[in-house]
Amino acid sequence: MSIMELNGGSVIAMVGKDCVAIASDLRLGNQALSISSNFQKIFPVTDRIYIGLPGLASDVATLRERFRLRVNMYTIKEERELEPETFAHLVSSTLYEKRFSPYFVEPVVAGLSKLPTSTPESPKFKPFICGTDLIGCLNFAKDFIVCGTASEKLFGVAEGLWEPDLEPEDLFETISQTLLNAVDRDAFSGWGAVVHVLTPDKVITRTLRGRMD
Amino acid sequence: MNSLVSKFSSSTATSQLKQAKKHLQQEEEEYGEPAMWGSAGGFGNMAAGIPSFQIPAVADPTSFLRLHTDDAADPSCRIKIQHGTTTLAFRFQGGVIVAVDSRATAGSYIASGTVKKVIEINPYLLGTMAGGAADCQYWETYLGIQCRLHELRNKERISVAAASKYLSNLVYSYKGMGLSMGTMICGWDKTGPRIFYVDSDGTRLKGDLFSVGSGSTFAYGVLDSGYRWDLTDEEAQELGRRSIYAAGHRDAYSGNSCNLYHVKEHGWTYLGNYDISKLHYDGPGDVPGSAGHGYGYSERTAGLSSANDPAPSTENAPAVSVQA
Amino acid sequence: MATASVYKGSGFDFSNHVRNEFLGSRGVKLPKATSTGTTIVGCLFKDGIVLGADTRATEGPIVADKNCEKIHFISESIRCCGAGTAADTEFTTAMISSSIELHALSTGRKPRVVTAMTMLKQYLFRYQGHVGAALVLGGVDSTGAHLFTVAPHGSTDKLPYVTMGSGSLAAMAVFESQWRPNLERDEATKLVAAAISAGIFNDLGSGSNVDVCVITKDKTDMIRGFELPNERGRKERKYTFERGTTDFHVNSERIRRLVAEESITPFESPEAMDTT
Repeated sequence: MSIMELNGGSVIAMVGKDCVAIASDLRLGNQALSISSNFQKIFPVTDRIYIGLPGLASDVATLRERFRLRVNMYTIKEERELEPETFAHLVSSTLYEKRFSPYFVEPVVAGLSKLPTSTPESPKFKPFICGTDLIGCLNFAKDFIVCGTASEKLFGVAEGLWEPDLEPEDLFETISQTLLNAVDRDAFSGWGAVVHVLTPDKVITRTLRGRMD
Repeated sequence: MNSLVSKFSSSTATSQLKQAKKHLQQEEEEYGEPAMWGSAGGFGNMAAGIPSFQIPAVADPTSFLRLHTDDAADPSCRIKIQHGTTTLAFRFQGGVIVAVDSRATAGSYIASGTVKKVIEINPYLLGTMAGGAADCQYWETYLGIQCRLHELRNKERISVAAASKYLSNLVYSYKGMGLSMGTMICGWDKTGPRIFYVDSDGTRLKGDLFSVGSGSTFAYGVLDSGYRWDLTDEEAQELGRRSIYAAGHRDAYSGNSCNLYHVKEHGWTYLGNYDISKLHYDGPGDVPGSAGHGYGYSERTAGLSSANDPAPSTENAPAVSVQA
Repeated sequence: MATASVYKGSGFDFSNHVRNEFLGSRGVKLPKATSTGTTIVGCLFKDGIVLGADTRATEGPIVADKNCEKIHFISESIRCCGAGTAADTEFTTAMISSSIELHALSTGRKPRVVTAMTMLKQYLFRYQGHVGAALVLGGVDSTGAHLFTVAPHGSTDKLPYVTMGSGSLAAMAVFESQWRPNLERDEATKLVAAAISAGIFNDLGSGSNVDVCVITKDKTDMIRGFELPNERGRKERKYTFERGTTDFHVNSERIRRLVAEESITPFESPEAMDTT
């Protein structure tokens, strides 16, 4: 048994046209026994950054708090909003610090980063997603990132369904169907799902009706 | 009456057998060995006795098999035998209810969601499947052949007790060699509805109520709380469905759908296939005994608990209201 | 005074070690870190160094990243290809790059390749191979062009053409048969690309594209995607779902607006400013 299969769970992030989406299942298990169908794995970091943490549930809770601390410290010291690229490196170095005794979590970051040409009057954003392995090796993908117990299945479905420049509502359908169909083939993920679609002016959060077995 | 029997119907039992043998021999000479043209339903000459298998030429075949198939000890083993299941059967005044899930897993991968885990041995006998799918399928089909031969020899249906004992003796002769099956042989004979639990260790138990597989604990929970001898047919069917749902819901290795059978005096009937997720959200639909609503916790408690409001709570509501 | 500092000492933190050992002893398998199965090479030519790398990152049998960057920045005219545990190559080169920059600032001179090589080997030796970085270091400095390999245990080689990673044998076969001293820039880049291609096509751990970096005395050219021999075939059909396909709990929908509603009031109509 792998440690990722102790609690189960999967996360996926996808890039769209001026938007990103991040989604996860809602299962918390103890090996084969499903415990909870509303276990949060995706957390907001700033208005325009979300992080997904699939893996060992205790480390999900620990890291969530560590990231909150480090993001707050950054914001206080720098007196500016954290950008997704910066946050990705923050995540990476937090994990690499424990290179020889890692947290069992494979984070996924999704966000919209402010372009240099952006002004307060007319803000401009670029979609950003990235993933890391459990010791913090960054993977900047241009299409999608998958992690968790269903990652192999997610890779397969996403590789087939993803396409560039999807509008927010189309991206929602694509990421939802990818996640739902992949976790239906995974014993340790499922029990409902949640999707966040980040656009420049709003964040849409929806809870999906997934299979409950 | 089949053609072979009708041919000799005027004779006594012993001469009948003698003549049948002669006839078979004639046929054999004409068409060659029965195994060559598959007279025993693809089982070749195996109907003639307990078959024997080729064994790998290694010092300890059992540990050799385990080395390559035991994924609990070694997840990277080459051959993954499918397991993880929920099956149940219970006896009540109206007969026997047999209910099973339909998921097959190989490690964390859900290999299939449409597995038939009830093996229809003959119109009066059902066997359930847990453990090695191939083992259950093969030996229970083989059991079916033996039951038919019993009928031909003795002019009466085999009792559930005898059928299950046949199977248990058979698997016992392979004890320790890697067979993996946990099965319930269910049927109706002269003594009424009967269930026997038989597993590959050689255990054989008579009982009213059994559940086998990784999800059995969950099924037992529902089953025990709802079980009575004087259950009506509809109540019993609903209990079977509800129990498999509970296991499919909580156990990662069970799920997808529930197959339901009812064994009555004149044999078994197949009642249907129920999607577990549909049972969760909407219930079994328009069937006898249906609760008329979903089995899911949130479906049953919507609006009844402060933690489960039907409407979105205002706590996390957006600062600006949602527009269509 | 018992105030917990938010600052921590530098270096690795082993605080989860006891817990992880315990989980390990209970038969729990640790997930695989991303590794770069990798083909990385470097060779000398007339005016400097050419480095090359493939762009595949793997997690066990899965291709985790189809276009990752394996040629890392050390300084303007020193670059380093990394193979092995991806996180280790990434962080080791980043840290040495930082040290080299500080060293350059404190000495007031351009950094030398040997300096970077020494820093790398001393760091890797200290961790006795546990930091799994296999590197090809190359660059041009005041003493000329230099090319090294640094193995995870800290041993180094200085050679005119080198290969590393799981595709090193395939790549070395190309160099052994075709490399000669004083190659022209064009020839050298082509040779490096051929060596990487040998890795991409013959080693399952390597794949996707060829990255090349040409370092000369006064210019460094980093060419991402020098060759793209594995471009994905065009998708003939679209697989977008009709909107409304996915069934979600309608009353669970939350929309958080990041821009407060704005209203636009137009100025007085232009007719009022008739200037005729």
